[in-house]
Amino acid sequence: MTEKKNWEPKIVAFLCNWCSYAGADLAGTSRMEYPPNVRIIRVPCSGRMNPLFVIKCLMKGADGVLISGCHINDCHYSEGNFYARRRFAVLKKLLEYTGIDPRRFQMSWVSASEGDKWAKVVRELVDEIKSAGPNRLVDRQTHSAEV
Amino acid sequence: MVDELKAKVRELLKNKQVELVIGYQRAADGVSVIPCFVENEKDAELLIWDAYCVYNLSGYLKDYPGKKIGIVAKDCDLRSIVVLLQENQLKRENLFIIEMECHGVIDEKRLKYDTQNQEINFAQKCKGCPSAKLSIADCVIKDKGEKRKTPDDYDEYEPIRKMEAKAISERLKFWQEEFSRCIRCYACRQVCPMCYCPKCVAEQTQPAWFSKGTNLEGNLSWNVTRAMHLAGRCIDCGECERACPVGIPLRDINKKIQKDVQELFSYQAGLSAEAKPLFACFDKKDPDDFIK
Amino acid sequence: MGKGCMLKITTKEDLTKILISLLNDFEIIGPKELSHKGIFYESITDLKDLHWGEGFTTEPVKKFFLSPSEYLFKGRYENGQEALEELPLPGNKRIIIGVRPCEAIGLSLLDKVFNAGEDQDKFYLNNRARTILVGLSCLKPDKNCFCTSVGGSPESSRGLDALISPVGNEFIIEIITERAKGIFESLGRNLNQEEVKLWGSDKKRREGSLNFRIKVSENLDNIFESEYWEKVSKSCISCGVCTFLCPTCHCFDLVDEKRKKLRCYDGCAFCDFTLEASGTNPRAARKERYRQRVFHKFDYFKKNFQENLCVGCGRCIRFCPVKMNIAEVVDKAPLV
Repeated sequence: MTEKKNWEPKIVAFLCNWCSYAGADLAGTSRMEYPPNVRIIRVPCSGRMNPLFVIKCLMKGADGVLISGCHINDCHYSEGNFYARRRFAVLKKLLEYTGIDPRRFQMSWVSASEGDKWAKVVRELVDEIKSAGPNRLVDRQTHSAEV
Repeated sequence: MVDELKAKVRELLKNKQVELVIGYQRAADGVSVIPCFVENEKDAELLIWDAYCVYNLSGYLKDYPGKKIGIVAKDCDLRSIVVLLQENQLKRENLFIIEMECHGVIDEKRLKYDTQNQEINFAQKCKGCPSAKLSIADCVIKDKGEKRKTPDDYDEYEPIRKMEAKAISERLKFWQEEFSRCIRCYACRQVCPMCYCPKCVAEQTQPAWFSKGTNLEGNLSWNVTRAMHLAGRCIDCGECERACPVGIPLRDINKKIQKDVQELFSYQAGLSAEAKPLFACFDKKDPDDFIK
Repeated sequence: MGKGCMLKITTKEDLTKILISLLNDFEIIGPKELSHKGIFYESITDLKDLHWGEGFTTEPVKKFFLSPSEYLFKGRYENGQEALEELPLPGNKRIIIGVRPCEAIGLSLLDKVFNAGEDQDKFYLNNRARTILVGLSCLKPDKNCFCTSVGGSPESSRGLDALISPVGNEFIIEIITERAKGIFESLGRNLNQEEVKLWGSDKKRREGSLNFRIKVSENLDNIFESEYWEKVSKSCISCGVCTFLCPTCHCFDLVDEKRKKLRCYDGCAFCDFTLEASGTNPRAARKERYRQRVFHKFDYFKKNFQENLCVGCGRCIRFCPVKMNIAEVVDKAPLV
């Protein structure tokens, strides 16, 4: 287990297309500065999110996973975020119960106009993951994408 | 009780109310109990009923679609039948449910170790059995003996609370050790009445969700995923933990979700066949505090 | 007693001392009891953890030879060309102690599959070469054991480097192979004539003590289409417990995982075991799968290798979630 100096967290973020992704885009066009550690994957709605995605990310070595969607009552598909809220409330507790640091999986509601909130969410998330340290759950040597 | 049961089964078969009754019979070794498939009146003689009748037979119901089946069920088995009805896996009119008033079944594994103890070692799941007055059965065979009393202050979630109180690194160490023994035999899945996916997520290859190997990634992913897939559906029949050949405390995971689901959403699985499944609905007031 | 065999008697203390000294050069693996979970083969560093008493390990020694999951090789791209990279084979030497005779016979049967002329499985054979097997005879076979009905015995030394028999507070060690000689030669003292005779008759007595006996038909072929299989397989839930815990089951799956080839256990009991790419599944019905298991153990393997593939250890019965009993099934099979 080699501890790389100047380790930078790798965080996977699943953003809903209509609100959070647009919000993140706004942060970009407004030239707001925030840490570059987040890799964004666009999904149509937070309700599309499968808990398996989160589990797989954490097992494959992601230091953190974020799901971000529309605010309650503002879902583009009316109810997607309600289902997501239920599903991930259960997953979050289960992951913590099995010994995975709760800071590694987080959720946020970011609307299309909240570019500044997006930057804040990412800043705080990266700080928390940095203090949580690298994800050592699975040996990177045998399970990482080596060429 | 068993004579009443045999009579009822003979009657059902004679009147062609059912084509098959699934119950319990004694194994060849004279001690263990195995499932019994009664198709004619003569075979009804094989049926037994005692504290060794541990299995949840409701899993077999799905193997006979379209047929009229009778089933011998304990309280926990009834709850799993309710969930299967809720999810449209069974048709109520094709079932004849014979409820046996159950006072608890043995813990097979502890039986091996505590042979000095004269008292029957009841399974953990029985100690807190809600004995919910489910009125779903077609006929109830009562037990004239004295019913074991669950103490009022019995906390079925006590082992869960103990685990939650541990430090996170301790929890990780505990589960890593337990899952290191997992051999991915999928006995937990096959014995669970609620696991009926034609192609399990563990067997999918395009894409493959997690490793098929018995490494930590594969084992932790498998067990966590199965627990999530049972959220709001697991009724704590305890079969998974009983079937696990390497003794992983699977009830400690499934009950954790059961507890969370009850506390977060006031939802209990297996109480009503008309209720909507947990994740097929939502409440506007669902807890939100974990979301930024 | 075979030619060249040595018989020694020693105390538990002396045996433990020798094992401790061997820890420098060998990994010592032996049965360890996990309270209320079972007995498992684990790497032993503190000899006090070694379980000498009765009871059987849940998993047989098979897993140290045919691994439950291992990566076979890796694929890479080099200068735009595909290349295969061999993964290093483990080299550390091991002594597995406490092996029951049935499990050792199981390995001899697996040798016929993995060490067969042109078909040499290097992963299995590498494990065989670097491991010394020290058996422990069974003083108390349990109600599910039926090794004597399938050509085995609680005292068999087949496939073992040495066999330990507990006698009161002492151990008699039968040293069989040269490499076991190198290790145990200096232990204890030789048995005298009288003691050898006693040992022999004790062995015979114990061999006869198994209550559970079955007869295995030589002509299972005749009843391949019988309705018997439908009847006996009704409660099977198609899990993998019997297969994975069996000392002789060896079917495996090959899966590509991130450019690595994984080999992991697979079982004919699983519903999709015979699912083909075309979508056809020759053994879609449960009775067909259960019949396959019985026939592989008691018919097909006999036709190919003149022996049953079953060693009568009883694990499949003991750990089956619904107590399917293959011994009863075979014993009660109709003749026509």
